[in-house]
Amino acid sequence: MGVALLMIFLISIPFYATDYWITLLVQILIFTVYASGWNLFSGLTGYTNFGLAWFIGVSGYASSLLIADYQWHWLFAWPIGALFISIISIGVGVILLRIKGVYFAISMVALTEGTRELFGTEYLEPLTHGGKGVPFVAGISLATLYWSVLLLAFLTILICYKITSSKFGLRLIAIREDEQAAETLGIHTTRAKIIAFVLSAFLTGLAGAIHFTYQNYIDPSFGFTIHLTLTPIVMTLFGGVGTVFGPAIGATLFTFIHEILWAELTLLYMAIFGGILILLILFFPQGVLGWMKEKGILPKIRKI
Amino acid sequence: MGKVTLRLENMGNFIETLIRGLMLGSVYALVGMGLTLVWGVVGIVNIAHGEFVMLGAYFAFWSFSLLHLNPLLSVVLAIPVFFFSGTVIHKRVTERLTKAPELSALILTFGMSILIWNLAQFFWTNTYRSVPYLTGNFPFFGLVFAKSKTLSFFLALSITAALFVFLKYSKMGKGIRATSQNPEVALVCGINTMKMRAVTFGMGIALAGAAGAIVSLQWVIFPQMGASYVSKAFAIVVLGGLGNIQGALAGGLIIGVLESLVTQYWSAKMAQIIPSVTLLLILLFRPTGLFKR
Amino acid sequence: MNQQPLLSVEDVVKKFGEVAALDHCSFDIEKGSITGLIGPNGAGKTTLFNLITGVLQPDSGHVFFKGEEITGKKPYEIARKGIGRTYQIIRIFPKMTLLENLIVVGKGRERKVMEKAIELLHLVRLIEKKDHYASDLSFGQQKLLSLAQVLMLDAELILLDEPAAGINPTLQNELMALIHQLNEAGKTFIIVEHDMSVIMNHCQNAIALNYGQKIAEGNCRLILEDESLLEHYFGR
Repeated sequence: MGVALLMIFLISIPFYATDYWITLLVQILIFTVYASGWNLFSGLTGYTNFGLAWFIGVSGYASSLLIADYQWHWLFAWPIGALFISIISIGVGVILLRIKGVYFAISMVALTEGTRELFGTEYLEPLTHGGKGVPFVAGISLATLYWSVLLLAFLTILICYKITSSKFGLRLIAIREDEQAAETLGIHTTRAKIIAFVLSAFLTGLAGAIHFTYQNYIDPSFGFTIHLTLTPIVMTLFGGVGTVFGPAIGATLFTFIHEILWAELTLLYMAIFGGILILLILFFPQGVLGWMKEKGILPKIRKI
Repeated sequence: MGKVTLRLENMGNFIETLIRGLMLGSVYALVGMGLTLVWGVVGIVNIAHGEFVMLGAYFAFWSFSLLHLNPLLSVVLAIPVFFFSGTVIHKRVTERLTKAPELSALILTFGMSILIWNLAQFFWTNTYRSVPYLTGNFPFFGLVFAKSKTLSFFLALSITAALFVFLKYSKMGKGIRATSQNPEVALVCGINTMKMRAVTFGMGIALAGAAGAIVSLQWVIFPQMGASYVSKAFAIVVLGGLGNIQGALAGGLIIGVLESLVTQYWSAKMAQIIPSVTLLLILLFRPTGLFKR
Repeated sequence: MNQQPLLSVEDVVKKFGEVAALDHCSFDIEKGSITGLIGPNGAGKTTLFNLITGVLQPDSGHVFFKGEEITGKKPYEIARKGIGRTYQIIRIFPKMTLLENLIVVGKGRERKVMEKAIELLHLVRLIEKKDHYASDLSFGQQKLLSLAQVLMLDAELILLDEPAAGINPTLQNELMALIHQLNEAGKTFIIVEHDMSVIMNHCQNAIALNYGQKIAEGNCRLILEDESLLEHYFGR
């Protein structure tokens, strides 16, 4: 009931709100998908993905190029971009998910950085426009874009909810808790990890395609910027890692904080952001939802 | 006859490129050794490591432009200054992470990195700076080398040698190695592992700071410069094997030579991809590094 | 008795660097037996478990389960074929509830899995805590949960690494009674244990390892009465 009311409210927003508010909500929703997508894989399996920007950038590039150079309609370009990154992610997952712990995190950074450099080289220029970037107009109204991303965010949270309360989700958590024990208990850990990785790539990639359509532009440093990895992680940490609604809560709070800080302290904004990250880890590692659980506001037991 | 001179010239060019690579690599190695030391002994993956290279470079720059301090002196001074700062940072911040999950340390140092380079940007602006000291080249057996880079090379090698001697022969160095190999046993043997970790963290930061001061002699300085050093340092650590100091030295030289060769014979843009590609290839095919411990 | 053994370990070698943790080790385990695996620290007992369950691969030699070679198979494949194990250091999933700890292991329909999990929690007497996080359990209770996880797997052969160590005598008796009950229901056990009275009282056979080699095998009492073996074991 509450969810239905919230959805009706959110759907109705473009009919009366100003563009400023719609834009702000678009950002919140896009980052909700990024954060939930990150959480779906990293929050559950414990494999820190420092290459979320890679999902976003590759899918963003694929869809942007389809729209800019091949005159595709955005409605088709977006899912193709997401499918493209998903298919590549299968291969990358098979190869890189054998690497554990910090090494996996670093290898994803290397993959992102390598791809960024590669997309800017003269060798890929005929395809990617090199360092010049890809400006384009998709001919989509702000309201339509808003509704698309709202639908995507809704589906993403629904999927996350379904997964966390399923046996598949439990298997992912078991991998996080003790991968070897999970394996000797008959869990095909490699397959579970790859499925979660690819699903995360698909959802994040789809949001990435929408993101760059909304920006009407993509280039290597913009499409693969470390912020696209970092911000969703911070949001998830803030809301609560491994929870269903944590990423959405974090994305909402953080986008507002971002708005305020950015307007007031443009130059110091990033520094403050870094400082918040340090303080979060030191004093608030369990996130909003975890903190509520600790304080007894949320129950300490969990029923299924 | 013409062909022979051409070949000789090519040969000379090649050797020059190779030596330039080794000089470059010696500085990278300092950064890499600092990272591997902290990672191996303290167990913290310091993503902000490159930021201390940047700070080291600015340290030398400001000492030079404000106090007119000889940059060589800055390099020497950077070591105690950064060592002390490093131990303080460890005591105040990173020490709390020794028992936390890996992810926490990764994200915290990530935050530290962003904090530091953005503060640098805020206070010192994005202006490119450099230390005009020992400019010009000198000939050497028909080859030509930059004076500043040659000097850097020797500075880097001296610091490396000092580090090796310290770790091998000093009591504290032995304590650090023991802590790295087996912290529980080290603790039982009466080694203050907590202190060893703080000292090691300080040494890692000192190595980065000294490397930064050396870097200021030869390249431009700007707030975001740390990123390229940390990505190289990670490639070096993985190449040399986690916690392996000698491996990191070799890894640094390898990365330097590769970068120099690719820049010379292919393109500067492709040289930027070397650290990422090296790192991925090593992690996939030799995850324990190239060298046996 | 010309029956095929449930598990055959044939000439298995595993080296860590220069040291052979297992040195040409061979033995058979009959279906329905409880076998004690004894030997001093570092004799290769845990390594043996790791090799049987696919956590480690042997340098040479073979392992057969129900006549089928399982050497080189992935741990999850071996687990699904019916070999379950517990670890010396308990390895449950602390941030999952008890029920979740069992459900995650289960195969098949959701309802069936749930029913079975509840039944097993009754069996190990942890049903009241089913929705609590596993990290809230005491050490001994965690051991019981870890056994329940293995039972959830429907394993025919269960490898227990020091099941009785570090838990109080009452719980220890309960645990051993449970093992006998399961044994009568057809489960086969291999138990690593330092407490000789546990081995004496509960195992029919024993295998003694030292420096990675099998030094004795057979009836429990006979082995434990063997002077030279005792010398090895207790260093007397």
